[in-house]
Amino acid sequence: MTAIAAAKPPKRRRGLRRAATAWSFVLPFAAMIAVFVAGPVLASLAMSFTDIRSADVRDPLGVDLVGFANYAKLFSDELFGRAVGNTAIVVLAGVPLTLALGLAAAIGVNSGLTRFRSVFRVGYYLPVVTSIVAVAVVWRFLLQPESGLVNSLLRLAGIDGPNWLASTTLALPSIIAMIVWRGLGFQMIIFLAGLQAIPRELYEAAKVDGAGPWRQFLHVTLPSLRPTLLFASVVGMIGLLFVFEEPFVMTRGGPLDATTTVSFQIYSQFGFGNYGYAAAMSYALFLAVVLLSILQFRLLRSDDER
Amino acid sequence: MAVTVLAPSPPATQPATAPRKAKRGKDRVASIALHTVLIAGLLVMISPFLWTLLSAFKPDREIRTVPPTWWPQHPTLDNFRELFERLDFPLYFTNSALVALAVTAGNLLICSATAYALAKLPFPGRRALFAIVVGNVMVPVMVTFVPTFVLVSRLGLVNTYAGLILPNIALAVNVFLIRQYMLSLPDELLESARIDGAGEWRIFWRIVLPLCRPVLATVGILTFLGSWNNFLWPLVVATTEDHYTLPVALALYSVGQNQTQYGLLLAGSVVIITPIVVVFFLLQRHFVQGIATTGMKS
Amino acid sequence: MNRRKLGQCAAAFGLAALLAVAGCGRDSGGSGDSAQPVGGGKASGDITVWAMGTEGEKLSVLADDFMKENPDAKVKVTPVPWDGAHDKIATAIAGKQTPDVSMIGTTWMGEFAKTGGLDPTPAEVAKKDDFFPGAWDTTVVNSTSYGVPWYVETRLFYVNKDVATKAGVTTPPKTWDEFKAAVKAFKEKGGATWGVSLQPGGTGSWQTVMPFVWQSGGEVLSGSAFALDSPQATDAYAYYKSFFTEGLAPKDLPQGALEPDFVKGKIGAFVSGPWHIGILKDQGGAGKYDLWHMPGKASATSFVGGSDLAVFKDAKNREGAWKFVQYLSRPEVQVKWYQTVADLPAVTKGWDDASLKGDPQLSAFGDQLKDAKAPPAIPTWEQVAAGFDAEIEKLAKTPQSAQDTAKAIQQKAGSIGTGA
Repeated sequence: MTAIAAAKPPKRRRGLRRAATAWSFVLPFAAMIAVFVAGPVLASLAMSFTDIRSADVRDPLGVDLVGFANYAKLFSDELFGRAVGNTAIVVLAGVPLTLALGLAAAIGVNSGLTRFRSVFRVGYYLPVVTSIVAVAVVWRFLLQPESGLVNSLLRLAGIDGPNWLASTTLALPSIIAMIVWRGLGFQMIIFLAGLQAIPRELYEAAKVDGAGPWRQFLHVTLPSLRPTLLFASVVGMIGLLFVFEEPFVMTRGGPLDATTTVSFQIYSQFGFGNYGYAAAMSYALFLAVVLLSILQFRLLRSDDER
Repeated sequence: MAVTVLAPSPPATQPATAPRKAKRGKDRVASIALHTVLIAGLLVMISPFLWTLLSAFKPDREIRTVPPTWWPQHPTLDNFRELFERLDFPLYFTNSALVALAVTAGNLLICSATAYALAKLPFPGRRALFAIVVGNVMVPVMVTFVPTFVLVSRLGLVNTYAGLILPNIALAVNVFLIRQYMLSLPDELLESARIDGAGEWRIFWRIVLPLCRPVLATVGILTFLGSWNNFLWPLVVATTEDHYTLPVALALYSVGQNQTQYGLLLAGSVVIITPIVVVFFLLQRHFVQGIATTGMKS
Repeated sequence: MNRRKLGQCAAAFGLAALLAVAGCGRDSGGSGDSAQPVGGGKASGDITVWAMGTEGEKLSVLADDFMKENPDAKVKVTPVPWDGAHDKIATAIAGKQTPDVSMIGTTWMGEFAKTGGLDPTPAEVAKKDDFFPGAWDTTVVNSTSYGVPWYVETRLFYVNKDVATKAGVTTPPKTWDEFKAAVKAFKEKGGATWGVSLQPGGTGSWQTVMPFVWQSGGEVLSGSAFALDSPQATDAYAYYKSFFTEGLAPKDLPQGALEPDFVKGKIGAFVSGPWHIGILKDQGGAGKYDLWHMPGKASATSFVGGSDLAVFKDAKNREGAWKFVQYLSRPEVQVKWYQTVADLPAVTKGWDDASLKGDPQLSAFGDQLKDAKAPPAIPTWEQVAAGFDAEIEKLAKTPQSAQDTAKAIQQKAGSIGTGA
């Protein structure tokens, strides 16, 4: 080893060369970010500190600085508060459900017992890819009070099903069900990649030790998947914090704002032309995402370090 | 289910046939159960897609009936015929394909290279760059939309392919995904290649990328999907029809000021989703390939 | 990450500071916009036009005629999907990438005019009196007209003939009381489950409610302030609410159920525009319904919508653009347009043509157009309307009273402002 070390160039030059090489990998990305991302992000951040409206787009500098007024307004905006509450419910319910079901689907499809693996993989992923319009039509049919499938099944059990999407209490859970159903294919793909990375020897070893499928899951699969789980849950959480399409297409945020979300409010405000306020809302959401992600990392990683 | 008494663990040299027979029986029941659950789940999962496919062959009136019909009662090719007559399909398909392929190829190259450096090459500014990557993922897309368009118009890229492609050619979320995967690649593998005198780029091309097939397939599909289905950006960047992509063109005739032509909308949905399903089928077998060096554990 | 966040914050503040130093800040003086004249003679050069939906598809028919008259001009029409058209026009104005002419939805005019991106209508191009008054008003922002109405639509009551006959209602009601009585009769004697279907709040319900406000003598603005809690408006809200509380209108009609239920006679009547003629034909309802003029109190006003044509300040060929718009406003061209895509002419003379006058259903719309209004073209209308819709939803679905609704609407509108 020392013989080889002696043959290498002096440390400083080596360090410089390594840095240069690394930067050569990173340069295209950094350039693209600098050109196409940095400017718009800074500009929109600046927007959030002004009272800029869509009427000002031809003369964007001709607006007034309002400091943190837009951000302060968020606290007194009832509708925004409602949206925050709804989004929180979606995340708290949706993340565990999509993770659990996505993982179950991945394990099922990945297990050595199934044939037609590709069909299952494509099929479970299809909702992620199908146009939201088509998904909405089918789900509206499922949830129809009289002729819908859900209520027909409930009727067989003697229960009189409600008007799901028109109920202020049941609309949000219905939408969550739809979101979970739609999103689990995506998580399935992530878990499939993660499952592939688990060496078969670990399972063999566990089997030799007499572990059945459930214990193998607990002691081999889950621990090996920890980084994937963390990643999937952060990505899943971010996706749900941004949830927009489903409430937009199914209920337009109703009934009576029971299903409005933060992204829906941002979209609304941009639609009204309140660019400054909408930008503030967006960066408030960004802040929430950052803080929640940090929280998640802390919670899930500290388990790991133990 | 055959419940023969399992023979005690056979000596290593003897093939264990008796226990295997009992296990096969158990396996079959488990297999049937699993298949049933998965197929039931599958039917639930593909029902909207199936409904879209079937309904594209129904006249508008039948599509609107409540409760919805499944099998077309008055099957018709009119929706597709009208769509292809009114739409210059080859033009829009080519535009969409060109843009989506360019964006996907660009992302795969640029983001994997970046991810490799972030995962495996220590360099000054690495933490800062990674923070930027993560931060970028967390910024809501809507907020930068108008400023990005203004930027693109100042650069003179409105109504150009460059304007359609470049802003999306290096997405932070892909760097994030690929880096996550690359973290689990064994360092010894890379070290031994370096000791053998291989340069970093060679290591990247010859060793790292082939090992990353599952995540590259994932990123490839997600990026292709995102670009193919992208509606708002191409709508705004293209100022003449010849730069429209498929989703924009399909929206032209299906959504009106006061009503929606469901037949055209659904036929359009089928047209849009078919290439995606094909691409997915082609790429998804790469999800299966595990890390080739399973024997080597770090 | 902490260092980076700090860095970003610093950059943002730096940028803001720069803006402050760069002298950003609003002009206190308002700049009046006066219309510049357009020269005579033929049009020449390229004229780029954006149009949505079917109009975008078929406009080339009229463009070809125009180009025959003006051989030196080349009209290039780019069809734009309705879905996202608002965003497309808004970003185009922001990036100064607008065409010469664009079709613009009537409710968008206020917002786009405020950007300063639209060119005021020259006097030679169009006269206010040529158009239906409600339609012309959609182009007027701060007493200046920015564009020209292109085609219009208005709302009537579609009434199931069988239900009406069974209910003993032979002539269309003229007053609010008569209308309510008719709807009651639909339910009690006509065999309908619901006498009438009225939108119970939600996006766009203002288009159904505002006519009642106008009929009652109310207005959106009184001078430069909102008047949405006036006694007349409150009367209208109370009248609207009564249909729901008396069980005459459904609070939760499932999507897609309206047309089949109407044709079957489960729903006695509903409000809509001319496009439902085609939809009902598709559903087997042709000939099964009558069209009723709006009932009245102080007036029998309906809502007028449609699209306008506007020329952009950043247009490269302003002269050609206005000449094309002028061409499209000729009565005979408006008639030809109706014959091409079934859009109702905004120009009143266009209705003298036999193809419109002779059709009883269309004449009903033409008649209503003489008494139809649109909300004022203020830039904040979309947001005010959203607040309006939300309160109407509470009015229809919860015990919230008409007075409380009026107060809430007025308060929301006030805090949003007219954006003047």
